[in-house]
Amino acid sequence: MKIWKAFVIAALFLAAASLPFYTGTYLLHTIYIIMMYMSLAISWDMLLRAGQLSFGIAGLFGIGGYAATMLQVFTNINPLICILFGAIMAGLISLLIGLATLRLRGIYFAIITLAMAEIFRVIIRNLPDTWTGGAMGIVLNNAIFNGDVKQTYWLVFGILLITIVLSEVFNKSRIHFAITSIRNDEIVAMSSGIDIFKWLVVIFVITSTLQGLVGAAYTEIYGSVNPDANFSVHYSLLPLAMALLGGIRSTWGPVIGAIVLGLAGEYLKLLMPYGYLIIYGLIIILVILFLPDGIMGLIKKLTQKK
Amino acid sequence: MQIVSKLRERRYQAILGAIIMAVIILAVKPEVLLEGIQRSSLYAVIALPMALILGIVGIINLAHGDFMMLGSYMAYWFAVKSGLDPLLAMIPAMLAFFLIGILTFYALIKPVLGSQELNQLLLTFGLGLVLEEAANLSFTSAPLKLSVPYVSASLTIGDLTFGTFEFVYVLAAMLVFYIISLFLKKTRIGRAARAVGQNPKGAKLVGIDVNKTYLIIFSLSIAIIGTIGVLFAMRHSVFPVMGAPYTMKSFCLIAMAGIGNITGILWYSALLGVSESIITAIPGAAGWADLVFFALIVGAILIRSYQQRVK
Repeated sequence: MKIWKAFVIAALFLAAASLPFYTGTYLLHTIYIIMMYMSLAISWDMLLRAGQLSFGIAGLFGIGGYAATMLQVFTNINPLICILFGAIMAGLISLLIGLATLRLRGIYFAIITLAMAEIFRVIIRNLPDTWTGGAMGIVLNNAIFNGDVKQTYWLVFGILLITIVLSEVFNKSRIHFAITSIRNDEIVAMSSGIDIFKWLVVIFVITSTLQGLVGAAYTEIYGSVNPDANFSVHYSLLPLAMALLGGIRSTWGPVIGAIVLGLAGEYLKLLMPYGYLIIYGLIIILVILFLPDGIMGLIKKLTQKK
Repeated sequence: MQIVSKLRERRYQAILGAIIMAVIILAVKPEVLLEGIQRSSLYAVIALPMALILGIVGIINLAHGDFMMLGSYMAYWFAVKSGLDPLLAMIPAMLAFFLIGILTFYALIKPVLGSQELNQLLLTFGLGLVLEEAANLSFTSAPLKLSVPYVSASLTIGDLTFGTFEFVYVLAAMLVFYIISLFLKKTRIGRAARAVGQNPKGAKLVGIDVNKTYLIIFSLSIAIIGTIGVLFAMRHSVFPVMGAPYTMKSFCLIAMAGIGNITGILWYSALLGVSESIITAIPGAAGWADLVFFALIVGAILIRSYQQRVK
């Protein structure tokens, strides 16, 4: 059984890694966009597994993007270093927010993260225009790898791999038991000597760094940032809907959800050019009401009955 | 008991501080204080129904501001179609939103009442988004503005000029506050609601229909917020995402006052509204006013978690 699993994973990995050799530019582009959302969805789910609901993906995504672009403009160093810098900045900011808010019940944290994107947008707008480009944003001279789709794909694929590996390590490691005990019973976890607060902050910082990393890569790929586009509710909403649809509290649920919704989204965008976000909102409502374990849960139920 | 008396002291200190602050501003820039009070009243009247839902039904309604947005669109639509004063739209809005509240409760809120907080938050977040996007699809994202002549009336006393229509918000805040207080204290349903808010299981044991109470409180709150939407549309532009900041600010007020503390909301909305007005009045700093509520909410959370640790 285990050998089979390893074999399937290796085959999937090889297929995904060698994709640029036999697919066209458009498909490759679509796939790496889906992979970005997939990384966001998995990282969001990791925090959810610790019992904390975040609406702030867009905020961290935007911070990562802005930090990377600003460093790029000021120093003009290697874009990959800028991407790392963006991720680290998102991690640092989340450390401050986590330290301030994670001691209390989940609702306070959730609302703070809901305000985060808007707050960061206000801050970026109010900082001197020479730093942030003001409402117009910044346009870089050149996209990363001079816009080469293959290398861009491998970059995003790499980020996705890091996210998946971290998520799986989380599930298998000692930390996971701590997290699960937090989720199941905070009082039991507390009385068994687990420092809930410390672990929550650690997890929040890791997932935020991942989200900042995706945001930074996104801006380096598109070569521009602006306060409205990079802090758009889009980046909070889509990963959330993907993870919920696929099935929360696992690595593979968000992966499935991202593939389904990502491909459907491409079609939807053609079908209704604006206002298609309503579909994602409806998906969130319907999944919560009727399919709380998502597609993964449905598959499990069907296979168990046999 | 000690903690309670300490809290009381702190509250008195806050009130004293607010009065001192008000006197200072009144001496230096009276119009800032007036504008701040008008702004505060609007925040208070929006936060009150949200606090009612959170305190008794136990649900944070992240679609709260979006219900107000719907009310505003209704006022706009009513005024344009009928040619009547949009203020008249308050009566049909109240009825319509009571019905919308009932429908929302049965379709969405009731199924998640017993489930995890995360599910409730996600559900109302999804609902808010659907409302916003529905408005976006049917009215586009362009801001709409009603032109009602008496709304922009102003009064000049000495060298002090201020808008008079905005005192409608002060009036509305006082009215809603007294109605809610009286309702909770004097009526049978209101008393039952307080009992349910404190202990749903206990309330059920003594024969209170908990679900009916939830239904009434939820629909009533939605009716209030929808009606406020009409008032809001008279003075402000109407656009699909206009409600979101008010949801956030309402939660900020509730978090500062503490769940179940209706009177506290009035005080803290005064703090929020007047601070925003002061910052808006400082030249070059107006853009930072949107950060005040975030600073206040983080401050409230820090104080609260500090208290928890001391306990």
